[in-house]
Amino acid sequence: MESLLTAIFSGTAQGSIYALVSLGLVLVWRGAGVVNFAQMGQAMFTTYIASQMIQNDYSYWSAFVVALAAGGLLGGLVDLGLMRPLTSRKNSQLLNSQSMRNAIPIIASLGILGILKALAGIIWAGEERGFPGPVQPNPISFGSTNLAITSFDLFVIAVVFFTLLLTTIFFTKTGMGLAMRASALNPEVTRLSGIKVSWVRTLGWIISGTASSLAGLLITPRTNLSPNTLDLLLIIGFTAAVVGGLTSLAGAVLGGFILGYVISFVSVYSAPENVFIAILLFLLFALFVRPQGILGSKEVRRV
Amino acid sequence: MLTIKNLVTQYDSIKALDDISFQAKPGVITTVIGANGAGKSTLLRTISGLERPTSGTIQWFDKELTRMSVEAIVRGGITQVPEGHAVISQLSVAENIELGGLFRKRIARGDLAKATTEVYELFPLLYDRRNEPAGSLSGGERQMLAISRALVSRPKLLLLDEPSLGLAPLITAQIIEIINNLCRNTGLTVLLVEQNANTALKVAEHGILLALGKVVADAPARELINDSALRTAYLGY
Ligand SMILES: Nc1ncnc2c1ncn2[C@@H]1O[C@H](COP(=O)(O)OP(=O)(O)OP(=O)(O)O)[C@@H](O)[C@H]1O
Ligand SMILES: [Mg+2]
Repeated sequence: MESLLTAIFSGTAQGSIYALVSLGLVLVWRGAGVVNFAQMGQAMFTTYIASQMIQNDYSYWSAFVVALAAGGLLGGLVDLGLMRPLTSRKNSQLLNSQSMRNAIPIIASLGILGILKALAGIIWAGEERGFPGPVQPNPISFGSTNLAITSFDLFVIAVVFFTLLLTTIFFTKTGMGLAMRASALNPEVTRLSGIKVSWVRTLGWIISGTASSLAGLLITPRTNLSPNTLDLLLIIGFTAAVVGGLTSLAGAVLGGFILGYVISFVSVYSAPENVFIAILLFLLFALFVRPQGILGSKEVRRV
Repeated sequence: MLTIKNLVTQYDSIKALDDISFQAKPGVITTVIGANGAGKSTLLRTISGLERPTSGTIQWFDKELTRMSVEAIVRGGITQVPEGHAVISQLSVAENIELGGLFRKRIARGDLAKATTEVYELFPLLYDRRNEPAGSLSGGERQMLAISRALVSRPKLLLLDEPSLGLAPLITAQIIEIINNLCRNTGLTVLLVEQNANTALKVAEHGILLALGKVVADAPARELINDSALRTAYLGY
């Protein structure tokens, strides 16, 4: 009973972070057709910024806000400074082949990842350091037993649920949210409706950057911070996004939580070192059973 | 007045539009007819800014369109209903309509609400199904939706690319009648691309016949409708 509750709670807390990462990946994938391998590099970098601020005696919350803003800024810059110029050159020989057109932004995102890691190494000496949360990770007890969930986990769950609520309202209730969905589904019809699709795409990069920055702030109190700490999170987030269908925002979030439970159940009932193989098996299983993802739909075309 | 002069649009080395010039008068329907591959869609795509011409000019009154972005052209009152019932199937009917007027939301909220009511009055069927995904509509209903999305932007020039494609004659007649009424009642200018020459020439005031990217006839619609020699030569019936 105790281990069941532990698995459920820690699965929820971790799953909510995976959901953010997966959401960030899907936002960029739907909008720009790019798997952004630099995403967690961006988050690593902004978490270092927050860590530096806290070291310089700024409060946790001001560092938190600055890191989120920096995440958005970095996302926007990647699009404006690199992705847009790279993909908009119509008369380039290289870009004439569709496979090159798809490959170039991915290679560029790997380049950014490399640059961000190198920069973090230079600026912060690349040493592993701790990163605080806003609350002490005190264990929460249920009756007389201590659960493997802390007040920090509760904070994580609350922040992520609030974020997901805001995101849902944004996408379903606002004009800008409609423009983002429409741009991802059919850019040409959206442009013919007078909407500046390229700016909507940039907004997708900004939101994605902010969400991943948040994920970085929420995961590092558990894992510590180094230039490579968030690599695993990208893999898990990507798996979650694929499981969720890669194009569905709700699917991405659901995929994140499912992966959180898979990982926590495997570490509680089996052993933490089996987590990797479990992720892989789960991905294969999911692709086999529902190749279009849990919430993805098969493209239905009628004339 | 839409004035097109010496327009050339190429796909790589193929000239899809080869030195086209014509005018479309305001407040009436001008139809562009021609066989498959004549360059009709390319013409509308070039007017909308989706394709860039290699040379020539497109003027809407005193505005030169060839250097404007797609979005700026739409915001300037020139809206296209593209070929093939272009709606976004995953969005609801109401969202598709909302999309068409989104760019006016801040500048003309009141009129946007009015325009939305008007298109629902034109197509009551869409109102009944406003919360369903556009993908669940029939071909004719989708065409109505695509036209509605264009109309809520309050266009001054409406570009219609083969609205009759795949529709029963009765539905086509209905849609064409609605467009015709809009022209008469609101002064809307329409450029109607059709393969179905008879339907189009009946409602249009003026006709342009395209063949292999060139204008081969430019005359009042009632003259073209009776010119059987031209028809056999270029449309094959
Ligand atoms: N994206 C493209 N790339 C290369 N060639 C194209 C492209 N689009 C159209 N073409 C060519 O340009 C010519 C004109 O095509 P367009 O689509 O304008 O014809 P259309 O009159 O609209 O035909 P339809 O009645 O079949 O719709 C055709 O020869 C076509 O093959
Ligand atoms: Mg065509």
